Amino acid sequence: MPTDRILSFTVNGEPVRLLVEPAQTLLEVLRGPLRLTGTKHGCDVGDCGACTVLVDGAPRLSCITLAVGCEGARVETIEGVATPAGPDPIQAAFDHHVAAQCGYCTPGFVMTLRHLFAENPTANEAELREALGSNLCRCTGYTKILTAAREAQAIYAGKS
Amino acid sequence: MLPLPRFDFADPTDLAELVRLAGEPGARLVSGGTDLLPSMKHRLFAPTRLVSTMRVPELRQVEPLPEGGLSLGAAVTLREVAAMPVVQRDYPALAKAARTVATPTIQAMGTIGGNVMLDTRCRYYNQPAGWRVALGGCLKCEGPVCHVAPKGKGCYAAHSADTVPVMMLLDVSVVFATAHGERHVPIRELYGVDGRTWLQVPGGSVLVRLEVPPPGAPIAYRKLRARGAIDYPQLLTAVQHIHDTWRCVVSAVGPAPLRLEATSPPELVEAAMAEVQPLTTHLASPAWRKKLVRVELARAMAELGIG
Repeated sequence: MPTDRILSFTVNGEPVRLLVEPAQTLLEVLRGPLRLTGTKHGCDVGDCGACTVLVDGAPRLSCITLAVGCEGARVETIEGVATPAGPDPIQAAFDHHVAAQCGYCTPGFVMTLRHLFAENPTANEAELREALGSNLCRCTGYTKILTAAREAQAIYAGKS
Repeated sequence: MLPLPRFDFADPTDLAELVRLAGEPGARLVSGGTDLLPSMKHRLFAPTRLVSTMRVPELRQVEPLPEGGLSLGAAVTLREVAAMPVVQRDYPALAKAARTVATPTIQAMGTIGGNVMLDTRCRYYNQPAGWRVALGGCLKCEGPVCHVAPKGKGCYAAHSADTVPVMMLLDVSVVFATAHGERHVPIRELYGVDGRTWLQVPGGSVLVRLEVPPPGAPIAYRKLRARGAIDYPQLLTAVQHIHDTWRCVVSAVGPAPLRLEATSPPELVEAAMAEVQPLTTHLASPAWRKKLVRVELARAMAELGIG
């Protein structure tokens, strides 16, 4: 009989302690007991990127990440992106350019871009496209997502 | 939703403990989990315990080898490998290959050791359990017949590890820890000719590190795939020219990467065309993939400025 574990980690800066089964994915824990349903459940096998979150600053597909492997980790989800002052520039740019249609892939795209702009603020067009290769969108055809990403990058650059 | 089958979990911080746990019945090693966990969701494996390699310091180490060259810990991620200045300078083809694996997010999760140990793939095998059962399973999982070669006796699931062709030309040595000490296996001897038994290592061996010899002649590497991201390879080619010898590795066309040598570029291409026999393991037609062997080898040689 598998032994459950007490998992301690932080989610969007808040310390969390809960009992998890070894077979539970990070996605199941976020969307289930933690009620953070902003992270989307897409293909379930690591192809689509809809479930992308950041773990210790690095992008992770939460549908194929074991929750028990996140002991002590710092997890950031889409719920932690906006501040009380307003949306993140990436979110604002997605809104401005209507870069979401059904919107299911959007949280994953935002998390991928958060990581890209943190790691490589001056990413060129090729690097931007390479990074967005991690996420699938079946509505927009990507053009508006790329436009929004470029605008957000410029706003990020202006801030720093 | 595809739930994981239930299992126990251990994440030791000590190499001896990792080896001990890996040797227990029903145990299976997991690193990034990007290949294993989807396969477990598809019920291809149901280990009773997953043993994580990610907290063992020896497996996360990168250091120069005493006689030159580089030692890469098995649990170093593909993204880390691709980003290392020493890899970019001395082994650019390896950095390029690591950067073609799946997507950048998967490169940040998956490890170089996991890529070396990657399961062979086939369109009849990497499918949800219900899909496979409806077809009566296949030789590699729960059935009596190979749907790729129904009259054959073997499994033809294709080797699909993007970084391996380059590592074969680099003559990488794969170091395993076992209960009885370390074992060094040349990567070119690691893979067998049947898709079910493609890894020629005894159970319970733990891949600890990859020893990359000092850099030699440049290597050209190409990955053919349906899209510029996400997809597994339809064909992998790596080419190197050393003095009077032209060497290549052609992969994703059978259970083991094919390593060939010739004394001229045309001979190398003809040797590959004679040896390579793509089958219906992929959605792309075997005839097209066979044609592309010639094309991709020519492109790789053009990148090296030869041929």
